[in-house]
Amino acid sequence: MPLQLKINGEERVSISDPLTPLVDVLRDEFFLTGAKVVCREGFCGACMVLLDGKPVVSCLMPAGLAAGGDIRTVEALAPGGDLSPLQGALEQHDVVQCGMCFPGVVISLTSYLEHTNNPNREDMKAALVGNICRCTGYERILDAALSLVAPGEAR
Amino acid sequence: MPLSTTAAERFYVARTLPDAVAALAERGPQATPLAGATWIMRAPLRQERLAPFYVAISKIGSLREVTVDDREVSIGACVTHAELAGQLAALPDCKALASAAGSAANPAIRQVATVGGNLCAKGFAAADLVPALLCLDAEVELQAPRGSERLAVSRFLALRAGLEPGQIVRRVIVPRAQRRSVHIRLPLRKAGDYPVAIVSLAVTLNAGGRVDGIRAAVGSVEPTARRWHELEADLLGKPLDPTRAADKAASHGGVFRARDGIEAPGWYRVKVLPSLVRSAVRALQAQA
Repeated sequence: MPLQLKINGEERVSISDPLTPLVDVLRDEFFLTGAKVVCREGFCGACMVLLDGKPVVSCLMPAGLAAGGDIRTVEALAPGGDLSPLQGALEQHDVVQCGMCFPGVVISLTSYLEHTNNPNREDMKAALVGNICRCTGYERILDAALSLVAPGEAR
Repeated sequence: MPLSTTAAERFYVARTLPDAVAALAERGPQATPLAGATWIMRAPLRQERLAPFYVAISKIGSLREVTVDDREVSIGACVTHAELAGQLAALPDCKALASAAGSAANPAIRQVATVGGNLCAKGFAAADLVPALLCLDAEVELQAPRGSERLAVSRFLALRAGLEPGQIVRRVIVPRAQRRSVHIRLPLRKAGDYPVAIVSLAVTLNAGGRVDGIRAAVGSVEPTARRWHELEADLLGKPLDPTRAADKAASHGGVFRARDGIEAPGWYRVKVLPSLVRSAVRALQAQA
């Protein structure tokens, strides 16, 4: 039975088995390759997407459970190539490194900024606990994100 | 699996509790409830086979409710860690459980991993909620085609591998009490990792400041979390004293048959327990 998925505002039909990890459906069936397959254990956050506005690891999300939800991938954050304010700040601060963890970092911070009244560095660190950056660029990532909300806190 | 089995039969999304119970009973012992799926989706990494049938229960509204009254806190099986941490934040007597729910794994896992899943993942030694529930005297309510039953978490842990077809965790019940409680964990990194060892403590104090009720539970050391009765007996009737508690914990470390794991050998898990107990008792002292 096909799965009805709402991905980046569009209704899509997937022929995958319902237990297929959502990240594989996104990448292999719909060619949305922003979410990366890395650990497949939910530890690294490279596959992170928003499901009903909340960041989830799509490697552990069966596509069948995501059906009926609102799935947003990193591709949706820059429609027509116009970067979101967060993405713009990350670019301006020259934060992007190897790029493997970055879509997940952007998803985590997008959700954090959408749901947090008083963003600060410590809370941002906690929000990024599940995003492993092997290039160890965390402080500059935080600087960039903080520049949007609290310029005085950015180093 | 018969060739005629369809995807809809293999992965069924239940909308009500009776629907889920019936679907599980109909599919028999090879069917498994699926809530947040974070444990089940890692089955291939553990070289485990997926079950032939899954019945998804996370869309059932009644399983996602937390209700609080003067006597108890009722937590639906599909309440996520993130939801639980938020709902319990204002309840001082449930501090251990709120802390466990808010510190387990990482934020994205906490958005989907559920209370019921944490209790039912029988191979998951490092489940944070289990020792916290043990120290709070929680009970598990099971729903089956013939009715429901309640049993203590420790009893459920002993029985969980042999649940009957159609029998699922409906909710967890935490009794309210004038207690202090704490959940202390030691991950290898500051956060986002499995804990090497967990100590959950709950105490009630008499007017003189002595312990007149205590529950100590340990997680991640043995394959299944359990109460630490020997430590409880030594702390009962005494004032909260972190140093003494740590000494007693060291003297009772031999009761554990600790598991070796990729992140830590068994002896290390036991070695850190006195330190965790010291931190736990200090935290209890700080809860005025």
